[in-house]
Amino acid sequence: MSSISLTNSQPYNYDIIRKFTVMAIIWGVLGMTAGVYIALELTWPAFNLDIPAITFGRLRPVHTTLVIFGFGGSALFATSYYVVQRTCQVRLTSDVMANMTFWGWQIAITLAAVSYMAGFTQAREYAEMVWPIDILIAVTWVTYFILFVSTLAKRTQPHIYVANWFFVAFILATAILHIFNNMEVPISFFSLKSYSLHAGVQDAMTQWWYGHNAVGFFLTAAFLGMMYYFVPKQAGRPVYSYRLSIIHFWALVFLYMWVGAHHLHWTALPDWTSTLAATFSILLLLPSWGGMINGIMTLSGAWDKLRSDPVIRFLIVALSFYGMSTFEGPLMSLKSVNALSHYTDWTIGHVHSGALGWVAMVTFGSFYHLIPRLWETKMYSDKLIFLHFWLATVGIVLYISAMWVAGIGQGLMLRAFDEYGNLAYTFIETVEFLYHPYAVRAFGGMFFVAGIIVMAYNVFMTIRKGRIEKAALEEKLAAKLAKVQG
Amino acid sequence: MSKEKKSQTVQTTGHAWDGDIQEFNNPLPTWWIWGFYITVVFAIVYWFLYPAWPVGDSYTKGMGNTVEYTTKEGEVVVTHWTTRALYQKEMQAAREQQAVQLAKYSKLSFDEIKKDDAMRAYAISVAKVLFADNCAACHQPGGAGLISMYPSLVDDDWIWGSDYKQIETSIRSGRKGVMPSFSKTLNEKQIDDVAYYVLNYSSKQNDFARVKNGKEIFNTNCAACHTQKGIGNIQLGAANLTDKIWTVAGITAKMKDKDKINSIKQVIKNGIAREMPGWENRFSDLEIKMLTFYVNELGSKQ
Repeated sequence: MSSISLTNSQPYNYDIIRKFTVMAIIWGVLGMTAGVYIALELTWPAFNLDIPAITFGRLRPVHTTLVIFGFGGSALFATSYYVVQRTCQVRLTSDVMANMTFWGWQIAITLAAVSYMAGFTQAREYAEMVWPIDILIAVTWVTYFILFVSTLAKRTQPHIYVANWFFVAFILATAILHIFNNMEVPISFFSLKSYSLHAGVQDAMTQWWYGHNAVGFFLTAAFLGMMYYFVPKQAGRPVYSYRLSIIHFWALVFLYMWVGAHHLHWTALPDWTSTLAATFSILLLLPSWGGMINGIMTLSGAWDKLRSDPVIRFLIVALSFYGMSTFEGPLMSLKSVNALSHYTDWTIGHVHSGALGWVAMVTFGSFYHLIPRLWETKMYSDKLIFLHFWLATVGIVLYISAMWVAGIGQGLMLRAFDEYGNLAYTFIETVEFLYHPYAVRAFGGMFFVAGIIVMAYNVFMTIRKGRIEKAALEEKLAAKLAKVQG
Repeated sequence: MSKEKKSQTVQTTGHAWDGDIQEFNNPLPTWWIWGFYITVVFAIVYWFLYPAWPVGDSYTKGMGNTVEYTTKEGEVVVTHWTTRALYQKEMQAAREQQAVQLAKYSKLSFDEIKKDDAMRAYAISVAKVLFADNCAACHQPGGAGLISMYPSLVDDDWIWGSDYKQIETSIRSGRKGVMPSFSKTLNEKQIDDVAYYVLNYSSKQNDFARVKNGKEIFNTNCAACHTQKGIGNIQLGAANLTDKIWTVAGITAKMKDKDKINSIKQVIKNGIAREMPGWENRFSDLEIKMLTFYVNELGSKQ
C-alpha cells in the first residue's frame, strides 16, 4: 500500500488487472503476428523456410492458443477482476490467489506455445496442450473460480450485476469443459504423451462439445460480461432491459451446451445427435441476439458519441459483428448448408468474424476505457485510437470477404459435376483457386496486426505518461506536506 | 421521438452499480419474442421430420422421410432419413447416370473411342479426375512429370512404349526402371568418355578420340540394353539416347555441354532404381481402360 492515498481506487486490487492487461496486449501482438505468418505460408509455402518448428501444423495451434487464451484469456482475467471489484464494491478476496492465476496462466500459455513448436501436441483442437500443462491450467482455473465466487460472496452491494453472471457462467463452464475434454491417461510420468479416455466418435463428440463451448462460453458469454459493464459505463446510459438480460442469459447458457455436434455433420456421428445440435443452434439465434440488442439499445440515444468517442465506435462495431456472426453460425449449422461450408475456408471466415469482429473489437474498446483508469491518466493519443479502429475494421472486412470467396468457391467446386456425372474439378484445382483469396486474407490480417501494434505503442506511451504524472503529483504533495509541517 | 419519450418513462430497476450503472426495465422487444417463437416452431417441426431425440437405446426416426436406394452390390435398402442413406442414394444416381455411357464404352475399341468426339470427351472427363487423384502425385497434374525423377507423359519419348497395350501393362503391373551403377566397373576417364559419347548421339561432339573411346566402352557395357545405335529398348525400359529428351539425367536444353556431360555421368555412376507400383487392384478394368486412353492422348499421337 502506498503511503499517500490519491484516489478511491486504492481499496481495489488494480495491480493484478494491470499485469493481465499488459500481457493481453503482448499475447495479442504475438498471436496475431503468428496468424499472419501462417496465412503467408498457406499462400506462399516458401515462408516455411524448411524449418519444422514454424511450419503451418505447429504454428497454427500457437496462433490459436496465443489469441484465444493468451490475448482473450488475459483480457477476460483483467476485465472480470475489474468489473467484479467495482460492481461489488469490494477488493478481491486474496492477492495471493490473484497472483497464482496470473503466473499459472502466463506459464501455461508460454509452455503451450513452446511445446507446440517443439512438436508436442495431443491433437485436440484448441486443447492441444500436453497433459502436464492441462493440469496446470486446471489448477489455475479452479483458483480463478474460487477467487471470483468468494469475491462475489463478500460484495457490499445487495445485487449481483449482470456482467458477473456471465463471468461466473464462463468460469464454471470452462472448468467443466477443460477437465472433461482432457480426461487422459499419460503413457508414463516421464512422457508428454497420453491417451484420451474417450474413443472413436465419442472422442470426436467430446472434442467438439469442448470446442464449440470454448466459443460459446469463453468467446461469447465472457465477452458479453465485458460488454455489459463497459457499454453502459462508456455510454453513460442505463442498460436497455434488465428483463432481456435475464432471459437471454439463461437461454444462452442452457442452449449452448447442446450445439457442439453441429461440427460433426455428415460424419460417423448418429443423425439424431446432429439434428439436435442443428435445431438447438437455430434456437440459439435470438438469445444470442439478446445481448446485441441490449448493447446497441443501450448505446442508442448516445449516437452522437459515435463521431467523437472512439471507444463507442469499437463497441458498436463489435456488437454488429457479434450479431452478424451469431446469425451466420446457426445458418451454417443446418446440415444442407454445412454440406457446402464444412471443410472449407468459410468456417475460418466465420470464426474470424467472431474472433476479430466481436472478441478483439470489444476488448480493444474496453481496454481503451480501462487503461487510462488503471494508470490514472488519459490515453496518450486519441488519434492513434481512431487509426487503430480503421486499421482493424478494414482488416476484418478484407479477411472475411476473402474467406467467403475462398470457402463458398471451393465448396461449390468440390461438389460440381460435369454433364457426364463425373467430378468437374480435381482436388488440386480447388486448391489452386484459393491462391488469390489467401493472399487477400494475409493482407487483411496485416492490417489487423498493424492496428494492435499501434495500440501497443499507444498503451506503452500512456503507461509512461501515467507514471511521470504520478511521480510529479507525489513530489508536489510531499512538498506541500513538508511546508505544512514546517 | 416517441421512442425517446418511452425510454424516459420506463423505470430503472432501482439499483446503481459502480456509481452510475443502472438498468432500465424495458419489456422484451416484440420482434425478438416472435423471432424466438418462430425458431421454436422451426425446431419442433424439424424434430418431427428427422431423427432427433434419443429414446431408450433407440431414437425417434422422424415422419414421412423414407429413403430408398440400391447399393453397389444391387441390394435394395429402405430406411428412414439418414445422411448416410442420402449419400448412398446420390452415389446410386451418379452410378446410373454414368452407366449409360459406360455400357457403350466397354464395348468400344480404343480406335473407335478416338474417332467419336463425344466418347472421347467422356473418357477424358472420367480419366482426368482419376489421373489427378492417383497419378499426379508423381507425374504431376497435367502429366509433365519431374525431370530426373518421374517420367513426363506429355512428350514423344516413351520409355515403356506408347501403344495402348503397352500403356495398359504399365498401369496394371507397374514398372521397374533399373540400370546398374558403373562406378566400380569403369574408371573416371572411361565414364567421362562414355558420357561424352552418349551426348554425341543427340548433339554432335568434335573430340573424335573421345567419341571413339566412348563408343568402344558403350558397345561393351551399355549396348546390351540401349542398343549400339542408342535407340534403347522398350521391352527393357531402356531409354532412347538419340533424341534430345532426357528422362533421368537432369538436363535442360539451355545447359552447357559440360554440365550435360556431368549430369549423364551422375546417372552412369549411380545407376537407376525407380519403380512405379501396379494399379491393378486399385482400379476397375474400365477405369484402367479410360486411363490408358487418357495417357496415350496426353503424349505422342502415334
